[in-house]
Amino acid sequence: MEGDAAAWKALVEGLSPLVWSVVRAHRLNEADGLEVYQTAWFRLAQHLRRIREPDRVAAWLASTTRHECLKVLKAARPLPLSDNPQVFDRLSDEPTPEEAVIESEEAALDRERLHRLWQAFHELGERCQRLLRLLMASPPPSYLEVAAALGLAVGSIGPIRQRCLRQLRTLLAERGVR
Amino acid sequence: MKDEEWENQELENQLRRAAEIFDPLPSGALQSAIDAYALHTLEAELAELAFDSLERAAGVRGPGRPRLLTFRSPPVTIELEISVSGGTGHIIGRLLPPQPARIEIHGRRPMVLTADPLGRFSGEHLPTGAFSLRCRLPSLVVATEWITI
Repeated sequence: MEGDAAAWKALVEGLSPLVWSVVRAHRLNEADGLEVYQTAWFRLAQHLRRIREPDRVAAWLASTTRHECLKVLKAARPLPLSDNPQVFDRLSDEPTPEEAVIESEEAALDRERLHRLWQAFHELGERCQRLLRLLMASPPPSYLEVAAALGLAVGSIGPIRQRCLRQLRTLLAERGVR
Repeated sequence: MKDEEWENQELENQLRRAAEIFDPLPSGALQSAIDAYALHTLEAELAELAFDSLERAAGVRGPGRPRLLTFRSPPVTIELEISVSGGTGHIIGRLLPPQPARIEIHGRRPMVLTADPLGRFSGEHLPTGAFSLRCRLPSLVVATEWITI
């Protein structure tokens, strides 16, 4: 059992970025997103014994998270969701550990550039934001997992990605972000 | 000129770094998922979600309209009607076949309800969020799949 608990911990650590990316790709706010994130993991824990193919767990999680996101959106609770990039802008918040690491003087320029990249990303269309936010999971999800997370055909992902990254590069060029 | 796919991957790497800085997993989330394993080891029969009015009713939704859920397990079916207003839920449920039971609600704020001999139970002020019901019957425990309300 100890080994199982350790394996579960490794699974959670390995796939949490994917689950969180699915949540944010669907533009759930942090509070609702957190509930969906938990639901997905609690449900996986319940189903763990029945999942026959371990290499399908990521796709299973992605798909489960997507369905919970859609339900939360459909429940039409008052969600402070918006296209406004400021909603997602945490620059004024307490620094996260990751932020603290790059607070040094020489990293300030790098951080400023990433922030402008983040702003440009939020100017993209909804479809592009959704796909690219998912692709930001670490490690990058497979196209099979992306398809499960977004309800897209596997074959459509490559072309959409290509188009969205081109749009983003155009935006960055217009703003002089290199 | 650089290969475009190389540029794509570079840009994605930068976006990934930006997301780690500006949109990280909230603190505490990871631990809550790790803790989910303890729930899995509790022996309980799983009642799977068999019906959810949110999946059916395109266009029929909105505040004030209750969400209907049915969870099925071999020994017992659990029917729920949940109305959410003002950030909390009102829950009405019944067990089929009808029987008394202790009903534990696992979620942000744990609650305990009692099903009467006809299997009926209800509760107020259910916090919204992730939740699962555990029905303690005389001979076994049935847990519903987790859902988000």
